[in-house]
Formats: sequence, structure tokens, C-alpha cells
Amino acid sequence: MTNTLLFIVLPYLAVFACAFGSIYRIKKEPMSYSSLSSQFLENHGLLWGSLPWHLGILLILLAHILAFLFPSFWQTLTSNQVLLMAIEAIGFGLSILCLIGLVVLGIRRLTSPRIQAVTTPMDLLVIALLLAQVGLGAAIAVHCKWGSAWCSGTTTPYLWSLVLFQPDLSNIEDLPILVKAHIVCAWFFILIIPFSRLVHLFAVPIEYLFRPPQQVVWNNSRKLNEETPAFAKEETRRHFLNAFLGIGFGAFLLSVGTLSKVFSFFFGPRLSEKEETELMEVRLAHLESTVDQKKLELERQASKYIMVAPITELNPTAGKYFIDYKMQPAIAFKGKDGYPLLISAKCTHLGCTVGNKVDSEGRILCPCHVSYFNIETGQPNAEAPAKTPLGHLPWVIMDEQGKVMASRDNKGQTSCFVQPDALSAGKVYIAKSLEDKTT
Amino acid sequence: MSLNSLLNSAIQFVKDRFPVDKLNYHYMVEKKEVPVHKMSWGYYTGGLTMFFFMIQVITGLFLLFYYQPTVSEANVSVEYINKYVAGGSLVRNMHAWSSSCMIFCAVIHLLTAFAMKSFVKPREITWIAGVLLLFITFTFGFTGYLLPWNQIAVNATKVGLQSIEYIGEYLPGQLAEIPRIIRETFQGEASVGQSTLGRFYALHVVILPLTLVSLLGLHLLSVQIHGMSQGVDVPAKKSEKFMSIFIFKDLSLWAFIFLCLFTVSLCIPFDSFLPYPLLAPYNPLGSTPAGIKPEWYFFFVYYPLELLPFWVILLASMAVVGVLIFTPWIFKGTTRKTLGFITILISIYLIVMTIFGEQIYELFKH
Repeated sequence: MTNTLLFIVLPYLAVFACAFGSIYRIKKEPMSYSSLSSQFLENHGLLWGSLPWHLGILLILLAHILAFLFPSFWQTLTSNQVLLMAIEAIGFGLSILCLIGLVVLGIRRLTSPRIQAVTTPMDLLVIALLLAQVGLGAAIAVHCKWGSAWCSGTTTPYLWSLVLFQPDLSNIEDLPILVKAHIVCAWFFILIIPFSRLVHLFAVPIEYLFRPPQQVVWNNSRKLNEETPAFAKEETRRHFLNAFLGIGFGAFLLSVGTLSKVFSFFFGPRLSEKEETELMEVRLAHLESTVDQKKLELERQASKYIMVAPITELNPTAGKYFIDYKMQPAIAFKGKDGYPLLISAKCTHLGCTVGNKVDSEGRILCPCHVSYFNIETGQPNAEAPAKTPLGHLPWVIMDEQGKVMASRDNKGQTSCFVQPDALSAGKVYIAKSLEDKTT
Repeated sequence: MSLNSLLNSAIQFVKDRFPVDKLNYHYMVEKKEVPVHKMSWGYYTGGLTMFFFMIQVITGLFLLFYYQPTVSEANVSVEYINKYVAGGSLVRNMHAWSSSCMIFCAVIHLLTAFAMKSFVKPREITWIAGVLLLFITFTFGFTGYLLPWNQIAVNATKVGLQSIEYIGEYLPGQLAEIPRIIRETFQGEASVGQSTLGRFYALHVVILPLTLVSLLGLHLLSVQIHGMSQGVDVPAKKSEKFMSIFIFKDLSLWAFIFLCLFTVSLCIPFDSFLPYPLLAPYNPLGSTPAGIKPEWYFFFVYYPLELLPFWVILLASMAVVGVLIFTPWIFKGTTRKTLGFITILISIYLIVMTIFGEQIYELFKH
């Protein structure tokens, strides 16, 4: 019964009263539709109270509204642990800011005689209620942690059920008393909006942000006489010194920060043993591949024959890369005739290395500019940017003892000196004597 | 025309371009005024390019401490900078982002200077120095691209260098050999390898910077002597002091741009737009991975090169270079309106080719 009264009847009553009350007030007393500025009467306390209060409450309200309007978006945000922590921390910090502002505003209302003259009991009630409400919010942040995450399963569905006129209390019935109090208090706020200075919520002076700056100039003789120069001499010096100190200190901090980063850049990293080992392994692998490359070069200068692969390892569709006597890449396939087929892999267009996979049409692809080369003829396809064919390389097949079993010269003539079945024991070589003649 | 009068007119030419009586602080700095009109923003593009160059010098010096220009160490040292050195990836990203920004600003600077007709007498030297600076900037991009020694770097360089050799096909007789000799001079050996890396490194960190700085000196000197060009047809009614109004605006723009560059470099690694196989260390024994392409600022010539016959591109680029260098004389009598129209056409071409080049290529090739 109490629950129904507080969480269903009160909300509808509050929203109804707020809507009609506010409209009634703006129709009947449009001039009262503000928070009755007291800036003229007291400025200092207002600055330290109003500013932190509004800064804090605006952002907090914004977060509440976001969580209510876009529950799924909000849930995505808060399901990220880091973001959740950030939201909670910022929210709590802002609520502290609000509390400080409220306390300053409250003290100002109670102590400044000029403000007392215009203070109504309603103003004091608003401040007291606000203190209670923000205090409750901060308490929830401490005692019922991660409210920004659990709200999407509790209070958000409750609010939406009210909006859709299907009130459903099941989501909030079991919430801690702190949270329930926070909700009830919120409905009370909405209820008293039209009867208090809170109506200024609906008169947000957004155009102030864009209007040209204005300055109040006093027109009576008393003020004119009291007028002091914008900066007295003493003040100018003080301003200069303050600015100088401020900028100097800022520059000092900035340069210390930057220099420490620059220093640590040049100081260099100090690696852990594990990192050092890993790095060393990578380095060594790179060095080894360079060494291999140099060995290949040396081998090509010194030896008459270079082994490509045992003939059994050759495949008709997946070629084996090797380096020819000119240190250029080449690919070894098994040809249709059963003999090795050695073809240059340096694209005749712009020198990329051609791929080693043969497609269904017996072609290999240069990926750089899409030229297909037929491996049997070496010819590129008609549309290819490459115009000249890939060259075939001559080869010899030798057995273990170095006896030549078969060979193909640079004109493509194959000669076989043994039974074709015996070839499978041989290994494929490229020969310096054969290659030197090719141009 | 006698030799004497030829000599005299040459001397007069230099005298007009470098009036000695104006070579003083008072004239070049204190008295200088910058016109204020709707194209005034064009005056900031040159300074911005120089600012990015300064960032390149500083971050480049930082990188020099760790980079090692050998085929076995280059890629590891770049990885080392990225992974272990404090702020290393930030510095490297800044170097990469700022290089792109520098080229972008240089091109914008060229276009605005063209549209504002800032090249007419006595500013011919300024213009030609500027065009040469742009070429050097592009060469910077080309040589710097190789240094990380990864798949895309080495293969793109291979393709780029091999294109030079293609010119040989259009030259008669013995001349046909010259492009090959030029390529091998830059390459240093039969294929792209250690010698190429060494040469590109020397170009990128010593020779090009020295050349650029000296040309930049000439460029700035002539800008300061002759002041900002009028820029619009009707001389601007308003103007502001170069010292200190304009220079402070310039500096605050630099500060803002630095903030942007710093943030971007902190958040977005420059090579995050490329798939890993292209960034893997270069493997001389494997096939070239698919998707090799140059940096975006070469797209405007790369994609046409893919689509059109080589000789078209060759002739067109020779024509463009010729026109760029002789612009002060070719467009002497052209109105700013026409120049603006030409600039818009060129800009549209550059933007379309840079952004949609790949799509256009796919459209025509498949």
C-alpha cells in the first residue's frame, strides 16, 4: 500500500502538478518564472556556491537522463569496467562538488542579512531537500556501489513502466532503503517545482551562451564618482606578478614533464631478462637469414651446381622457391612431362616476386599488378601489364654420385640418359655452365 | 642581342629578385604587411608546411638514435623503437603522420599560391624554389618509406625503381641504357638490398635535409624581401603587421596543429591502416604479398600508371613538371579567375584520385 502510494501515485501526481503548475505560473505570473537573482545583493558567496553546485548537478542530471533515455547504450558503456569505474568516480566527485556548493549556498542564505531579506521558507526547504537528495545519492554511491550499472536493470525499467502507463514495481521493491528514499525524494522535487524557485529549470538561458557580451554601466553620478580606474598602479603590478608566476610555474612544470620524457627516450629502455632474450632471438633470426642470403651468394659464385630439390619433392601445382645464379627468385614445379619445370619468379613487369600456386588454368599470379603467367610457356595473359614472358631455367638431374641422369639446356632441349623411372632417385640442380649462356 | 646586353639583363634579373637595399631587418620584418582578404588563409599554408618540416627534423633526430640501416637490423630496430623505447611509438607516429601532413600542406600551398597568382614578377625564384621543395618533399616520402624494411616498403620501392627503367623503352639506341644505369645507381646492386637501404638512408637523413634547408632559406628570403603577394585582383583594403600580429596568429595555429598531431599520434598508429602481412619483415625468398601500394600521396600518379599506357603517364608527368617550373612565364597574363578555375579542376582530380583511385582502378580492370 505504501509502495503503491509512494512509487505510483506520487509520481503521477508530481508530474501532473509540475506540468500544470508550471504552465499556470508562466501564464499568471510570467515575471516570477526565474530563480529570483540575488547576485546584486551578494556576489562572493554566490560564485563559490552556485558555480560548483550547477556544474555538478547539471552533469549528474545529464547522466541520469542518459541512463533513462538510452538504457541499452548506457548498459554498453557501463559494461566496460574502466568506463564504469570512471563514471562512478566522476559521479561521486561531482556529488561532492554539489554538496560543497549547497553548503556554501545554505550558509549564505542563513548568514547574509541582505539575502535573508529576500529568502522565503520555500527557498530554505529547497536547499534542505537538495542537501538530503544529493547526500542520499552520494551515500548510494558509497554503500550500494556501481549504481550506474545496476540502475539499468532496476530503476530504468521502473521509470519506463510509469511512462508507458503500466506501473510495475517488481524491479524496485527490494532495493535498499537508501535508494527508495532517493527515488521518493526525486518525486517530491518534481512536485514542488512550480511552487518554488526550481521553475528556473524550464527557463534555461541558453541564448546567453551565444549573445554578444554585455557590460553594465552605471549611469548615476554617485557611481561615476566612485568609479576607480580598471587597474590601479599597485594592482597592475600585482596582476603582472601573479600572471608571471602562474605562467612561469606552468612552463616550469611543462618543461620538467617534457624533459623527463625526452630524457627517458634517450636514456633508452632497460629490458627485463625475458624481453632481452626475446629480442635477441628475433635479432639472431634476422641475422641468420642475412647470413643465409650471403651464403647463397657465395655458393653461387663458387659452385658449379646448386641443388634445388630432390625430384620427388617437386609438385605440379605448388612450386618451390629457390634463388638462381643471378640471385633472383625462381620457382621449381614438376612439369606435365614428368621432368622438372624451372621458371623465373621475377615478374617481367616491375620485378615483384610471382606467387608459387598454380591456378586451374596452369598459371601463376604476380599479385602486384595482376599478371597471370602460364608456367608451360611463361607467357603472361593478354590484359596483363607484363608483356614479356617469364624465362625458363635450364637444369640437370644428378644422382648421389654426381652422375648426370638428365638435363635441359637453355633452349629447352631435354636429354635423358637413364630410364625415366630411375629419375625419382635424383636431385634437381641448376648449373652455372648452363645459366651463364642464358641472357 | 650582344653578349654585353645579355649579361646586363641577367644582372638586372638578379637585381630585381634580390634588391640589396631591401636586405635588412627593417624592410624584411618590421615593415612587412600581410593583406587581409578572403583568401588570406592561403598565407598560412607555407608556414604550416615549414612547421611540419621542423617536426620531421626533430622527430627524425630522435629516431636516428635507435634506427639501424642494415637489412638484418632495420626492421628489428623499428620494432624496438615501437615496443621498448619510452615514447618511441609516439615519436615514430608523429614522424609518419607529420610526413603526410607536410606533403598535404605543401600541395595545398602550391595550389593556393597558384590560384592567388603569387608567382609573377618579381617572385619567379620563390615559385621555382617552392616547386623544387615539393619535389624534394616527395623524394623524402619515397626514401623514408623503404627504411622500416618491411614487405610493403621493399616491394613498393622495387616497383618504384623498376618504373624508372621503363623509360628506357622510349629512348633510342644507347640512350635506352641510361634509365637502367640511373636505377642501378640508386639501387646500388642488382636488386633492392643492403646497398639500396644504405643509399636511401644517406639521402633521407643527410642529403635531402641539407638540400631542403638551403632551398628553404632561398624561398623564405625571397618571401621576406618581396612581402606577401597581393593575392586578389582588387588590392585588399585591410592589412596586418607581419611582426607581431601575423606571426602570432601563425604561432597559435602551429600550437593548435601540434596539439592535434600529438593527439592523433598518441591514439592512431600510422600503419594501423595496413594489414599485417604487408608490415611483416621483408622476406627475400617469399612471394610478394597482395596489396602492395605506395603511400597515399603517390596515388594521383600511381593509379593512372596502373590504368593507362606508360608513355601517356611519362609524357603527362614531363609536361606537368615543365609547366610547374615555367608557370611564372606561362601564366603571366592569365587572370586570377582562370587560375582559380584551373586550381579547382586540379584539386578535384587530386582528391578523386587519392580517395577513389582504388575503386576507379577496380572498375576499369575487372
